Amino acid sequence: MKKYSVLVAFLLASQLITMVSAMATTSIKAEVNGMVCAFCAKGIEKKLNAMQEGKGAFVDLKSRVVVMELKDGEDIPLEKFTQVIKNAGYAVTKVEKVPQSAEAIKAELLKSKDAK
Amino acid sequence: MFKTIRLHALLVAPCVIFSSQLHAAALMGFEESAMMMTEIGRYNQEWMLNYSPKLGYAIGVEVMRMSGKLEQATTLVGLNYTGLIKRWNLPHAQVNVWFNGSLGEASGLYDGFAYTPSLQFDAETTRLYFLAKARLIRTNNMNYDTAVVQTGFSFYETSFDGTQPWFVLEAKTMRNTEPALQVTPALRLINKNYFLELGVTNPFQGEGFAPRLNAMFVF
Repeated sequence: MKKYSVLVAFLLASQLITMVSAMATTSIKAEVNGMVCAFCAKGIEKKLNAMQEGKGAFVDLKSRVVVMELKDGEDIPLEKFTQVIKNAGYAVTKVEKVPQSAEAIKAELLKSKDAK
Repeated sequence: MFKTIRLHALLVAPCVIFSSQLHAAALMGFEESAMMMTEIGRYNQEWMLNYSPKLGYAIGVEVMRMSGKLEQATTLVGLNYTGLIKRWNLPHAQVNVWFNGSLGEASGLYDGFAYTPSLQFDAETTRLYFLAKARLIRTNNMNYDTAVVQTGFSFYETSFDGTQPWFVLEAKTMRNTEPALQVTPALRLINKNYFLELGVTNPFQGEGFAPRLNAMFVF
């Protein structure tokens, strides 16, 4: 009985850790005007990928969205993120931190495109 | 100074031959980037390498080679400046007005100080494209002034990592070259790493058949 209790406690703790780490996932999501060409918008990706705090940028031209998932425990001020995009020549109309992974946002965008 | 420019041109030109499009919507890369461009046609060729230290302007080296029908070529080597006069970032489009020009030296059929100021207007969405450009290309007794209009459409949308094919139609006039009105239908491929265009300029068959290559890289 004691063995089962330990096992159940272990499983619950693992589940809790997984949930907490999933909840802690944060991405920065920006809506960008003027981003119409991959060749021209390459600068956004290159500059954001150089930021150590992020896991790499994702750019979606069709939905005009730029996303970067933050590494665990890291943060980037929204002003800094916005400035990188502005310096690449584009206008940011909305920027926010969302409790989602980049993959989840990508899937969402794909789903909304399919729906259209 | 011009000897230095010539040396730079010799270093740059071979690289650029494999590389862009001088009538591209983007005349420069992003902040702290370098861009290589080339246009290789039958009667004129251009190569340019520029560096953009800050958004809105770029400096570089440009080499142009022009030849009228049955005449010796003129080569112009110059320092080039590109400036973004105005940009409108719209929800689904970008519109730009650019200044671009070189100051340098011409040699060949025509010699002497040369200057090539130009103004360009372009507008682009993810599916449609329009460009108009006027450029003076002059030195002592030489006039290769150019006017260009381009329009095009992409065949389909692509992801940021995909390669997007476009059909582009260009009408161009350049003084002292034939045909007086050069019409070039072209296939343009745009990827986040490169810009490549292959077209054919009129006349579309016979002796005057003239393929044209444009390419551009940013790094």
